[in-house]
Amino acid sequence: MSSYAVTIATLLVIQAIAVCGLNVIVGYAGQISLGHAAFFGIGAYSAAVLTTKLGLSFWTALPLVIGISALIGLLLGLPSLRVREDFLAITTIGINFIVEAVFRYVPFFGGALGIGGIPRIVFFDIRLKGVPFFFLCLGFLILVLLICWWFTRSWASLACYAIREEEAAASTMGISPVRFKLLAFVIGTAMAGLGGSLYAHYMQFISAGDFSFPVSVGFLSMLVLGGMGTLWGPVVGTLILGIIPELFRPLVDYRIFFYTLLLLLMIRFQPGGLLGEESFARKIIKPLLRGFKK
Amino acid sequence: MTQPLLSVKGVSRYFGGLRAVDGVSFDVFRGEILGILGPNGAGKTVLFNLISGIYEPSSGEIWFSGERIESIPPHLVAQKGIGRTFQIVKPFASLTVLQNVLVARGITRYNHLFKVWGPWGSKAEIRKAMEVLEKVGLSDLAERKAGLLPLGNLRRLEIARALVVGHSVLLLDESFSGLRHDEISRLEDLIRSIRKDGLTVILIEHNMRVSMGLCDRIIVLDHGQKIAEGAPVDIQQDKLVIEAYLGGKGTAYAS
Amino acid sequence: MRLFLEQLLNGIAMGSIYALVTLGLALVYGILRILHVAHAAVYTIGAYAGLLIFNITGSLLIAFPGAMIVCAIIGVIIERFVYFPLLKYPPFVPLIASIAILLCVEEVCRLVAGPHILTFPAKLPFPDVSLGGISISSTLLAVYVITALVLLILWYITTRTELGLAMRAASQDMEISGTMGINSHFIVSITFVIGSAVAAVAGILVGIYYNQVYPTMGTVPAYKALALIVVGGLGSVPGAVIASLLLGMAETLLIGYANIPLPRDALAFIAMIGVLMWRSEGLLGSSR
Repeated sequence: MSSYAVTIATLLVIQAIAVCGLNVIVGYAGQISLGHAAFFGIGAYSAAVLTTKLGLSFWTALPLVIGISALIGLLLGLPSLRVREDFLAITTIGINFIVEAVFRYVPFFGGALGIGGIPRIVFFDIRLKGVPFFFLCLGFLILVLLICWWFTRSWASLACYAIREEEAAASTMGISPVRFKLLAFVIGTAMAGLGGSLYAHYMQFISAGDFSFPVSVGFLSMLVLGGMGTLWGPVVGTLILGIIPELFRPLVDYRIFFYTLLLLLMIRFQPGGLLGEESFARKIIKPLLRGFKK
Repeated sequence: MTQPLLSVKGVSRYFGGLRAVDGVSFDVFRGEILGILGPNGAGKTVLFNLISGIYEPSSGEIWFSGERIESIPPHLVAQKGIGRTFQIVKPFASLTVLQNVLVARGITRYNHLFKVWGPWGSKAEIRKAMEVLEKVGLSDLAERKAGLLPLGNLRRLEIARALVVGHSVLLLDESFSGLRHDEISRLEDLIRSIRKDGLTVILIEHNMRVSMGLCDRIIVLDHGQKIAEGAPVDIQQDKLVIEAYLGGKGTAYAS
Repeated sequence: MRLFLEQLLNGIAMGSIYALVTLGLALVYGILRILHVAHAAVYTIGAYAGLLIFNITGSLLIAFPGAMIVCAIIGVIIERFVYFPLLKYPPFVPLIASIAILLCVEEVCRLVAGPHILTFPAKLPFPDVSLGGISISSTLLAVYVITALVLLILWYITTRTELGLAMRAASQDMEISGTMGINSHFIVSITFVIGSAVAAVAGILVGIYYNQVYPTMGTVPAYKALALIVVGGLGSVPGAVIASLLLGMAETLLIGYANIPLPRDALAFIAMIGVLMWRSEGLLGSSR
């Protein structure tokens, strides 16, 4: 496999992890987050700081990174999730801008130059890169998917779905909306943090601009395209939106134009996503599946 | 005289200058079916929202089983065994009918640190949920997406969910609205059987025949105030009640 | 002192421009509850269209209305072909579509007009004024006057005309105003027409004020405007205007006068979060 393909594939897997986290927040619990890149960045910078300035290994730092991402998710989520739905989108955008500004201007985070020299992940004395690293990331993605799958079988997920559909009715069934929104948010930000950590070790150099608002938009687009609230939606969406720029590469100058146009068309005509209830993909696949079942 | 199960004492709720509920007091006793009647805008649903915890009263107290509950958030009120339906039905549309009931069944787990992570799809749980669905007559629609159901079935789904939660008191908000004749009589039978199981029912209802027939006692609200209380037979002849419904005070009500 | 006053005047001008941009966003949000990020795309198109017409005709008097018409048409197209069909989905669906439109339009501008910063060397037909030793350039004066004019016209329309009454009714409750014979969809389109036309004015003014027109000129205003409508109170147009003026002055004074090294663009969001904590409906918002 060409090293270029491995590069792309690895990035896709890392992004998919973040988008899975977003799926918990947006897809399962129905809360809008347009600042997910901020938590991806918090994970990345935590990992960078812990490994470069404190000399911890990736593995030692990992629980800390996830803990930090979850904790900040909790702290930021508490006030945000109490505001009205309309405000939440803007508040999360605000969080993205402010977190990015903190990374850019606070000297501890390297300022505009960011943090470099992030070490590769060491696994049983092997410094991972290339294909082995890709498999490590894939392993984490599978772990995340397993967690999501298990989550959807738990009472916690029922509570989240209920809040998503009818918050008032959910509260009359013993579900505290704030608690479960927060739970989903924290799970989502923790997953984003994990993705960010892998990103930091992969790029070995990060700066504030890697976690700006357009990245959040990208994550949300991947989720929506793939299908919110489905298990594989995040993966499918990330794959598609990740591969398309590469497919459009030959178009050179027109790449971004076609990419954004495609995004617009997809969301205009298939807002449920490719794996969503009314997508044309399902309409094609359903009869095929029925044929198999018989 | 037995202790009332639920006691509303001097409860008021203002929205700006509007007195939606104004100094209402009444008691509800275990095992009775209490009706709350009144013209549109009288404050009936607001009263339910106050009891179930969605609103906090501007003044007054609400007692349930010896505890004050007026400041408790809705999810904790539900935990005490008070279930309710909504006048405008609120099904969890993208979930199946069965899952809608399962959400309610989770009430014993949502506040528990570990139990909340347990699976909801166990055979035992599904069986218990199906029992409730059978009681309301929705068992053959268990796998249907709730959002696709017609109103009559949605009202029954509301009741099914409330039944799971409300092991003490059921607050039914206009559950008979928009139902056909046969659906109405089936629902009446259901409510009577619920009472036989030992539950207390409070219902808001516009349908006079239904409320007169089902309720043991009735209170009547108008403009947020209680204007009458008593047996159905007495209410029907109460002058104030008749005036309130016929708009004797010169105000017309939008539908 | 003199520096303070000069910066204050700059700040008011800045705020006025923000107000013009945010106005359209506030109008659209008020009526559709959609965060019309693509409004910045309309604004950018307004700047380019104005520049183009000016370069061809040499006259601002033609450029302004010309750009306003172009933008009004584009605004309505966005509303009819993108937003209207997506109204039944959760609100972030039209939001993503809106962001996609903004990005796409930026790309189109870049492909058509080039990525370079173009200059807008027009002279607004206002005199340079000197008040007590402080000079106010013609551009500054133009910004004040034109903004005041736009606000006045808008105020007149919304409070004194039947159309305005219909717009206010529709923004309160579309269903009910529909039953009273107000053609809601028409009102929605008119709202977009007005908002987009004002965006065109803002785009041209910014182009002349900074003498810069470039494809991504709408990005920062897009997100600032979002924060501003929250600060002003979602659904309140006067609130958005006041918030814009305050932000313009705050940005200029804090950074240009007091030299506080705050990241300029984050200030809007910091202010937003501050206001939200204090008063959760925003400055002039009503709790719904």
